[in-house]
Amino acid sequence: MSQDVSTDSFEARKHEWEQRRARYADKLRPGKTLSGLPVKTVYTKEDVTDSDLDEMPGVYPFTRGLYPDGYALTPWMQQMVFGYGTIEETRQKMEKMVEEGMEGYFGHKVFNTVYDIPCMYGIDADDPEAVGNLGQCGVHMSTGDDYDELIRGWDLESTNFSMITGDNCLPALALLAAAVERRGEPFSKMHGNSMNWYPRIAVQDVPSWEPKWGYALIIDLVKWAMENAPDWNPVNIFMYGISEAGATPVQELAYGLAWGKSIIDAGLAAGLAPDDFIGRLSFQIGCTVNVFEEVAKFRAHRRMWAKICKDAGATKPSNMLARVHVHTSGYVLTQQQLLNNTGRITLQTLAAVLGGVASIHTCSYDEAVGVPTEESHRTALRTQQILMWESGLREVADPLGGSYFVEQLTDDMEAAAWEIYDEIEAAGGYQRGIETGEIKRAIDNSSYELKKMVNSGELPVVGVNRYVTDEQENYEPFRIDESIEEKAKARLQDYRARRDETAVRAALENVRVACEALKEGTGSLMPALVDAARAGATNGEMMVPMRDAFGWFVSE
Amino acid sequence: MSKEHIKVLLAKKKIDVHGRGTKLLARELRDAGMEVVYFRFGVVDEIADAAVQEDVDVVGVSVMTSGQIQIARGLIPALKARGLDNVLVIMGGIIPEVDYEPLYELGIHRCFAPGLPGGAVAEYIRENVGTATLG
Repeated sequence: MSQDVSTDSFEARKHEWEQRRARYADKLRPGKTLSGLPVKTVYTKEDVTDSDLDEMPGVYPFTRGLYPDGYALTPWMQQMVFGYGTIEETRQKMEKMVEEGMEGYFGHKVFNTVYDIPCMYGIDADDPEAVGNLGQCGVHMSTGDDYDELIRGWDLESTNFSMITGDNCLPALALLAAAVERRGEPFSKMHGNSMNWYPRIAVQDVPSWEPKWGYALIIDLVKWAMENAPDWNPVNIFMYGISEAGATPVQELAYGLAWGKSIIDAGLAAGLAPDDFIGRLSFQIGCTVNVFEEVAKFRAHRRMWAKICKDAGATKPSNMLARVHVHTSGYVLTQQQLLNNTGRITLQTLAAVLGGVASIHTCSYDEAVGVPTEESHRTALRTQQILMWESGLREVADPLGGSYFVEQLTDDMEAAAWEIYDEIEAAGGYQRGIETGEIKRAIDNSSYELKKMVNSGELPVVGVNRYVTDEQENYEPFRIDESIEEKAKARLQDYRARRDETAVRAALENVRVACEALKEGTGSLMPALVDAARAGATNGEMMVPMRDAFGWFVSE
Repeated sequence: MSKEHIKVLLAKKKIDVHGRGTKLLARELRDAGMEVVYFRFGVVDEIADAAVQEDVDVVGVSVMTSGQIQIARGLIPALKARGLDNVLVIMGGIIPEVDYEPLYELGIHRCFAPGLPGGAVAEYIRENVGTATLG
């Protein structure tokens, strides 16, 4: 019994706490989050509001999660990004991933397939500009053959094809639809996700369509999916691109939600009813190693999106759900002391799971060097599976709900993000932000400020500005043999030799006409693209009239 | 070897993504007193043409999604063909260390790992600009 326990009231304990720390309290350096929000050393019941404590998971505004019992009914979807070489190599990888236990909700198969940069940009294997990029950081899929092989044997009702496309988003969906039809199945069986993330132009420094046509194309795909493939998710809001470009977590929230709002606005302007399309929008969000800030971000994100959807006229709670796929941040991985990244990835995944997200891709520790090896990619998947099955993390929904700190941080991040969001909305919205370049400038500035903090050592990065060694690691990354280029070209030539050239030309002419009709507001493009895919047109060929019609815009 | 005014062309290869590293380096080199032309995305010939037009001392190429060997294979001859024998050529980004030697053999003068302070790149440029040749 070393000291008197005078009273058990909060006030008395707080007073005692103040006395105990008085000697050094003013020497403590004020803490802050990556977004610059102040962090105290201790949080108490004074920091939470009644409205925080009144929330339930699965109930509007969904701060505590989309589902009443969190991951208890079914765990998050393991959606590892993969794809390299031609479809032949990627097909083997798909089968391997299924063997490794990668699965979505209720055991469904999920294939989160990334295209190579030539496909995203919209050029075929025989284009000279494709040299050095074919099948390198994604799969090269441009022909009907490629898509037949993609879907071969998979049950369409229980398989999700998530297609990480670039500007080729519409042609890719058309090629998939034509393959489904060739298999004798209706479009309505299609499950999966188009990225449709044209608005990334504002942050990623990649040229793309003129903004107004970019949005027209987004909505064209949305409409086609509504009419033909109602279970298809037609739009992904690529917040990951925002944070990877250098945005703080608060900026990622604000700009990401403004991006989402710009899609809602475009849909409403095109005459769509809120409950018909808003519920099909979904997100991909980044996740750094700052565990609590990220958890608060995911919680605030769900609450804010629910409010935005409700304000936009959605009436069913199921149409207000922020369905989130997390891609763990690649930027936080270091090339220095490569294996340290496994620790970072574990923390990132922990944050995503504590944040209650619907789906996760875990980066591989060697992605700071190149394309992951089979082993590092499997270890990344296993990291998720360890968290899923060994840690007990998935047993309780929103386990940090009610935490004084996390509730306060959730509220703080929400307030800070609304401030930026409201400014963008008042200035004309996200689309205008693309045109003026102001979103990009704000993010570039944050990226620069962060880098200065790393350079000065204010923001510690192990292996980069702390515990630095100058040993050469000489890590050998996964290599995709250059012979893949010849293989891709041969597949393309073989495909072209078997098709009716006249029918392809006619179908592509129809695409050209449909592009003009879309611009004039008198018709839609997707049906013409599906026809072209049926006739045998390739990804790159469909992109030619599209580029002619919709221009090429670099956001400043 | 020091030079008062140093002009740097920073380019990304055509059809790459994620411009964060390049843009950061552009600012950091400016902070170090250099003039930076940020070229964004180009094929090898476009990068070489821009280097001539801008009359730069240094060409920096950033790579995110592979292709570094093919770029070096094309870029060095393209620069030489335009008479730029004394330009310093550096690369950075997601490039495996084990590729550094093959890139040096192709004529690249130096590769930099991601995440380094831009000051390290500026220091290298100051020490080597004007002395490099493309052999």
